[in-house]
Amino acid sequence: MLGRLGRRLRALLRRGEMEQELDEELRYHLERDVEQNISGGMSPEEARYAARRSFGGVEQSKEQCRDARGLGLIDDLWQDVRYGVRMLIKRPGFTLIAVAILALGIGANTAIFSLINATLWRQLPVSEPESLVYVHSGNPNNPYSNASYPDYVEFRDQNQVFAGLAAWAGISASINSNDQTDLIVGAIVSGNFFDLIGVRAALGRAITNEDDRTPGAHPVVVLGHGLWQRRFGGSAGVIGQQISLNGQSFTIIGVLPNDYRSAFPNRVDDFYVPMMMQAVMRPPRAGYSGEMNPDLLKVRRNRWLSLIGRLKPGVTMEQAQAALVPITKQQGELYPDTNRNRILTLTRVSDGDPESRSQLRSVASLLLTVVGIVLLIACANVANLLLARASARRKEIAVRLALGARRARLVRQLLTESLLLSLLGGAAGLLLAVWAVDALKGAPPPPGVLPVSLDFSLDGRVLIFTLALSAVTGIVFGIIPALQASRPDLVSTLKNDSPTLNHNHWRFNLRNGLVITQVALSFMLLIGAGLFLRSLWQAQAIRTGFDETKLLTAPLSINLLRYTRAQGREFYRQVVERVEALPGVESASLTRVVPLSGGSSIRGMVIEGRTGPNSNFRSEGGNPSAGGENELSLSVVGPKYFQTVGISLLAGRDFNEQDTEDKPGVLIVNETFAKRHFGGQDALGKRLSLEGEKGPWREIIGIARDSKYVTLGEAATPFAYLPLSQNHETGMTLLVRASNEPAGLALAVRQAVQSIERNLPVTNIRTMSEQIGNSLYAARMGAVLIAVFGGLALLLAAVGLYGVMAYAVSQRTREIGIRMALGARTTDVLGLVLREGMTLVAIGAALGLIGALIGTRLLVSFLYGISPVDAATFIVTAIVLSVVAFVANFIPARRAMKVDPMVALRYE
Amino acid sequence: MKQNKTDPFKTDLLQGTLELLVLRILGSGQLNGWDIMQRIQIVSGDVLSVTPGSLYPALHRLEERGLVSAEWGASENNRRAKFYRLTTTGRKQLEAERKTWERFTDAVELILRDA
Repeated sequence: MLGRLGRRLRALLRRGEMEQELDEELRYHLERDVEQNISGGMSPEEARYAARRSFGGVEQSKEQCRDARGLGLIDDLWQDVRYGVRMLIKRPGFTLIAVAILALGIGANTAIFSLINATLWRQLPVSEPESLVYVHSGNPNNPYSNASYPDYVEFRDQNQVFAGLAAWAGISASINSNDQTDLIVGAIVSGNFFDLIGVRAALGRAITNEDDRTPGAHPVVVLGHGLWQRRFGGSAGVIGQQISLNGQSFTIIGVLPNDYRSAFPNRVDDFYVPMMMQAVMRPPRAGYSGEMNPDLLKVRRNRWLSLIGRLKPGVTMEQAQAALVPITKQQGELYPDTNRNRILTLTRVSDGDPESRSQLRSVASLLLTVVGIVLLIACANVANLLLARASARRKEIAVRLALGARRARLVRQLLTESLLLSLLGGAAGLLLAVWAVDALKGAPPPPGVLPVSLDFSLDGRVLIFTLALSAVTGIVFGIIPALQASRPDLVSTLKNDSPTLNHNHWRFNLRNGLVITQVALSFMLLIGAGLFLRSLWQAQAIRTGFDETKLLTAPLSINLLRYTRAQGREFYRQVVERVEALPGVESASLTRVVPLSGGSSIRGMVIEGRTGPNSNFRSEGGNPSAGGENELSLSVVGPKYFQTVGISLLAGRDFNEQDTEDKPGVLIVNETFAKRHFGGQDALGKRLSLEGEKGPWREIIGIARDSKYVTLGEAATPFAYLPLSQNHETGMTLLVRASNEPAGLALAVRQAVQSIERNLPVTNIRTMSEQIGNSLYAARMGAVLIAVFGGLALLLAAVGLYGVMAYAVSQRTREIGIRMALGARTTDVLGLVLREGMTLVAIGAALGLIGALIGTRLLVSFLYGISPVDAATFIVTAIVLSVVAFVANFIPARRAMKVDPMVALRYE
Repeated sequence: MKQNKTDPFKTDLLQGTLELLVLRILGSGQLNGWDIMQRIQIVSGDVLSVTPGSLYPALHRLEERGLVSAEWGASENNRRAKFYRLTTTGRKQLEAERKTWERFTDAVELILRDA
């Protein structure tokens, strides 16, 4: 293999020498022949002649020797490329249009591919990711949940399958310097974390086990590259410096490398602190225990840790999973209150985030299908252009065939031309994609809607994808025109230079087939786009169940402050009081879960007097309706919550000052809860427990009207509200009801909060309408993208139709002239051409309709509130398509109408 | 390739057959192109002959495939000529092709005799 490659290279590099050798070799042969002939009695002249004759064609032999060397191919290729470039330059208009069409098609694909590349496939910058696994501790309803610290320690110390098992949790912290307080995002990690994932500090050192032995003893921090650049100007002097995190001083011990962002997909961690510093850092997931400051290193109730393990060499995922089962089982037996029915799931780190992955995957395949169709339409278009041009080149091709060019050789030549076109188109498409992705970066998604950081940079994979796609595209659109153009139909072509009446161009042929395909494909895409737009409108018209206008939300992360329970309660009281005193504020309250923010809090529940499986767990995120009968979505709310958000109470009373911690627990449920669990009976006065069958029991004191909680699209969901006064929480959000436009209040609200606690970062103040807009962000982006691609497809199809009709008219100029000379009126001619064109459109639309009826069923999971065969959408799309097609058809038809019979008959 | 009309015995050889013959002839030592041509003609008793137009491309193909190697050397009459010799893979290939050929001709003979 290598030898052959070497010879080929040598052949390329030493062409002259090889040629000379070949020459010499054949000359030697001839001379020997001559000598033999002379010794056989011929005269020298005769001898030379005879030798020549018996040798045959010397040049032909040489050519075949070159072919044997593989030199011929390279020669041919070079020749083809030069010839192709000349042809493209000679017809700049054609080249420009073809390249532009291809650039649109390939660019769309490259842009979407780079998006998918960034979200799904980018490898984390860890060493040997193939042996790294995420270990999820969860329950059957929510398998991808977390572990508590004591659980983690047992997993780590009792397993035989991991070379190491590390724990981490995402946290945020306030960083304070130069009188400026900011919120930064990072992670709290076990001491073995960096060693396990194989990441070293670029500067200084990373966290080690030594930093993670004694609670509170090692206030050290490792900075992410981004924060180091932003906040410290990339200075090497930061090592050993002190910074203030959540008001406590930390020593910077290291800076992570530039390419490292996080050990979890789509995160950027700005800092890392050791697990033993958890008391200072207050991981937010730990905040729902009802206790203000539990020792997270001791309790099992708080599941706040994600686990990442490195498999020992030779251990499979299945073996590792099986090996962890006994540990889980034992925990369930020893600590039934917290660990019953836990299951463990292992996923590969290289597979990314298991929860978002399947969703991302279906979106990705949808988008790829859409841009794939756009590219197909572009291919059909360029193929059509090439076919039209091939007829213009018939003579040239016929001459070449007549002169003895083999057909395969001609096809190769024509394919080289289309490959040149597609590569040019690919290059232009790449530029287009870079531009589009830049534009996307300029309009980043609202925080919390999509993963925080997507690295869209075009890496080698994207480049290879574009190159491969361009090559395939070139062959797809080039092969049929090349085969057709090189069909040896010499005699008629050479004799008769132009197709006239004897060529029936109206019957079904390749070009018409391509137009029909384009119309069908673009009709399907347009219907898809229409469905998405309709679905978006439907979603925007959904009622939220509360008054979302003039409402402002401001998260108060007091878990960052080391407050006691009493301090926290006092802080909340003061915040509400001061904000309510602001001019323009009608009322203010607090809530744990902001409606339609995408978050929820789920707990297991038991209704008094009914037995049932007790699943005592809680989790964050996900859809509340995913929970079973014994699970309950809930929020903890402050005083005047219902009044502030505008939800009315249908029965019972609101929480009041009497509902203090020493009184029996109370809660308010929504209509759906009351209906589902108590049917016709009165739910008021009934009691339920969120802490298992032994209670404590909480009494239902009110029933609130239903509203939307997590997403606009959700079905009616049972929901409950707990009073903040009995259930202290650290991660509350302030809700402000304004009397006017709420956005103007943001600054005043921030100042009011910071006048109480200067060190609390108050970021992300948003209006509720903004929040709801954000919850529709994905749907809107999807609809916009698909509408853009649908429009693009329609445009391309229209151009294709126009091209075919214009060409047909130009070919029939003489026929039309005769018809007119014989008395056809201009309207007859117009009708004739229009009829032919619109027939193609009608066939295409019919095929597209069938395709859409089948295809749109796959969209069900993306659509809200409309059927995938929504009649209105189909009809409107058909009208749009017909109008555009009519215009594309009308222009050439009108030209046909204006044909002057005299000119037409003299034409040719 | 055009048939040389002056010699009724010249037969166009199939490409694979020509290569087998060339390998066999090079099996007995290194030779240049002209010698190979002569040898084929003489050994076959003038029944088989090849034209330079098919011999040289065949030699270059064999060299390209690594079955023969070539070097320049002095010919009998002390002129520079290109000499071909079998490589180790070439020798193996010769054995393999020879067996295939024998099986083939045996089979054909059986049919011609007994069928």
